[in-house]
Amino acid sequence: MSWQQRRGERNERLGAGSRFTNGKIIRAGEATALLEAVLRPGDRVCLEGDNQKQADHLAKALLACDPARVHDLHLVQSGIVLPAHLDLFERRIARRLDFSYSGPQSTRMARMLQAGQIELGAVHTYLELFARYFVDLTPAVALIAAVSADRDGNLYTGPNTEDTPTIVEATAFRDGIVIAQANEIVERVPRVDIPGDQVHFIAPAPAPFFVEPLFTRDPAAITETQILMAMLVIKGIYAPYGIERLNHGIGFGTAAIELILPTYGESLGLKGRIARRWALNPHPTLIPAIESGWVEQVHCFGSEVGMEAYLAARPDVFFTGSDGSLRSNRAYCQTAGLYACDLFIGSTLQIDPAGHSSTVTLSRVAGFGGAPNMGSDPRGRRHPSASWLKAGREAHRGGDAALMRGRKLVVQLVETFGEKLIPTFVEQLDAVQFGARLGLGLAPVMVYGDDVSHIVTEEGIANLLLCRDADEREQAIRGVAGYTEVGRRRDRAAVARLRQRGVIQRPEDLGIDPLDADRSLLAARSIRDLVRWSGGLYRPPARYRNW
Amino acid sequence: MNEAAPQGGEPAAPRRTGARDPQLSSWFESTARQRLAGLLDGGSFSEILGPEQRELSPHLRQFGLPPAFDDGMIVGRGRLAGRTVLVAAQEGRFLGGAVGEVHGAKLVGLLRAVRSMAADARALLILFDTGGVRLQEANAGEVAIAEIMHAMLQARAAGATILGLIGGRAGCFGGGGLIAACCSGLIVSEQGRIGVTGPEVIESNQGVEEFDAADRALVWRTVGGKHRRLIGGADAFAEDHAESFRSAAIALLERPCRFDLEVTVAEHARLRERLARLGDADDAWAIWARLGVADPTRVPDMPAPEFLELVARLQDERRDAR
Repeated sequence: MSWQQRRGERNERLGAGSRFTNGKIIRAGEATALLEAVLRPGDRVCLEGDNQKQADHLAKALLACDPARVHDLHLVQSGIVLPAHLDLFERRIARRLDFSYSGPQSTRMARMLQAGQIELGAVHTYLELFARYFVDLTPAVALIAAVSADRDGNLYTGPNTEDTPTIVEATAFRDGIVIAQANEIVERVPRVDIPGDQVHFIAPAPAPFFVEPLFTRDPAAITETQILMAMLVIKGIYAPYGIERLNHGIGFGTAAIELILPTYGESLGLKGRIARRWALNPHPTLIPAIESGWVEQVHCFGSEVGMEAYLAARPDVFFTGSDGSLRSNRAYCQTAGLYACDLFIGSTLQIDPAGHSSTVTLSRVAGFGGAPNMGSDPRGRRHPSASWLKAGREAHRGGDAALMRGRKLVVQLVETFGEKLIPTFVEQLDAVQFGARLGLGLAPVMVYGDDVSHIVTEEGIANLLLCRDADEREQAIRGVAGYTEVGRRRDRAAVARLRQRGVIQRPEDLGIDPLDADRSLLAARSIRDLVRWSGGLYRPPARYRNW
Repeated sequence: MNEAAPQGGEPAAPRRTGARDPQLSSWFESTARQRLAGLLDGGSFSEILGPEQRELSPHLRQFGLPPAFDDGMIVGRGRLAGRTVLVAAQEGRFLGGAVGEVHGAKLVGLLRAVRSMAADARALLILFDTGGVRLQEANAGEVAIAEIMHAMLQARAAGATILGLIGGRAGCFGGGGLIAACCSGLIVSEQGRIGVTGPEVIESNQGVEEFDAADRALVWRTVGGKHRRLIGGADAFAEDHAESFRSAAIALLERPCRFDLEVTVAEHARLRERLARLGDADDAWAIWARLGVADPTRVPDMPAPEFLELVARLQDERRDAR
């Protein structure tokens, strides 16, 4: 009996592919032919793509394969982002899917799922999908993206390294095939992000791989309501808990927090006491806080278009390689956000009276990305911090105080009505109906209610840790749900009692005058201001300029 | 880290902490009333037909739209460096500053009133912030534009100086662009955009190959303040705060201002010459290069003082043809 079947199979695939290469370099126009030779029906394939960078050249090459030869693939990747990703299912090249995030394709994804065109395994968090790469979703073939490659296969993935090391680790060390597209072939890569002996074939790409500037929020679009909510968060949560290590979501509300740290935060004397260490993508809106000396360290999931030169010039703050440019790593940063941060704050589309939240609506499946990991209390955490212990004390319900756990803060930051005045608070999440209709076996909930510690709206802060039972939680949530139907069904007396106990805090309870929530509090009010703060180092994409 | 020397081409951002000085706050960000407060001598503004009169649009209600008590147009008089001026300011936050019946009529009335000022002191400032005519009251709005232009030319023939100030969020488009063209002088900031047909409309009518409205750098170098100043479409360039608009307006009011056949003929000649010289350029960069800008692609990122030096160098003998 052979113990090396997989290795033999890998060698056969390598032999079949080598007919289209010079060394490891795939000859021009032969990428599709190589894929047809290397791939086998039913293969598990990771076509690298996440919420930022895309192996778009290889996606096109795969889509051009003959469905008679390449079919029934099982895609296992973070992102379904390019139209080509879903075209693969329409052409029957791919059949089964396990993924994490599908933001830009969320509407088509919902349609194709409901039409049964995709056989869905599960929607994962990033970390969960990466974990399964090493247990039961190991790719047979990985198609990845690099900035440059040398002839030995060493890859430079640059600031947007992201998922690549994790994908390659799982594939290359389990006798899989790793195929990289590279923007250019060079004599010597600026730094080795992926060693050459883990890379089998290289496809020179006709254009640099696509990167979405997903984390750029134009300060010009931040509203006074969002500024008010940012003031509530800083004064009502960051200050009393002394939050030093944290992760922010990507909404305008969190961008407002970043932009008023050097103004409002400074006026409260909080500099050096809060928001010092981050697991965060390089948000341009963090520039003023960095330049004002608030930020000591930031580890990044990925990079952000236009931030490259700024990041390279601030190695004291960001993780950079021997070449000077940013090194990001999604798996490590997700772990950092999960275990080493004391607070996550983010937004969502729907919250129910139990505090469960979801971004799934009946017409959109955007996936989870990293939010469920960031937005959960890690039960395996064992190191204490002052804020973690304080939250733990608030949440403690009887029992031996010596055996009390700490608690991570998970904050939902939402306006009571979202875009187009659609209520954020609902009696039942669309996710419940959606999960049942597709037979998912699990409603696609982004953050479960028992993980949420605070809900912040323009009406105030609800501290769910202090609620003693489910009824109190419900009234605390209704009590900040404003004029939505959920909010109007509050028990006014119960809400008044919760306010008396400090479970609900209104702006005036915190000494915040809503009339002070003014755009002049923003350290930068335009993308141009951010460029100025960066000393001209931040180069925003054209679509964010107004000059 | 605060004190570190900037490593790029831009000066450090002003470290304003909650500054509310109306003269220093951003013009682009401000409301029409905040702009007036920062522009005029302190406390000198008195409003005509203010919001307490509740002169509401008669049309918006039919569309279920909430009206504004001033219909998005604030008119009145005030002083600028001691000199009495009439002022009109469009509120870009109300329906994008769009011109409706009442909105337009208030400006027409003000333009007629300018002729009752002393003959050597007729001055009126229009603080533009408009996308053009209000679609919900299109006919009344179009008529208003025509009446405004008619009243402007009559006022200018009577010796009035009419300055347009452009740097608001909505820019100055549609009928607003036509009115701006009838002014005796225009002051624009980098954020200000001047045109008739807006970028999105050009794109949807002519195709994205003709004009990509999502490429905002392209939009700004085609209709933005720096370009308008460089090709002589605007007469002064202001930084994005009221103090800068104010000093530019004070300076422009000093400039002799004529409006007669000779000036009009000269203006037409200037425009004809400009078209012949630059008409075949396919991008603002090419135009700037032809005007003598050494590194045109750097213009959008140029800080204001450097840009003003550039303008002074290029336009030393600007013919006044307005």
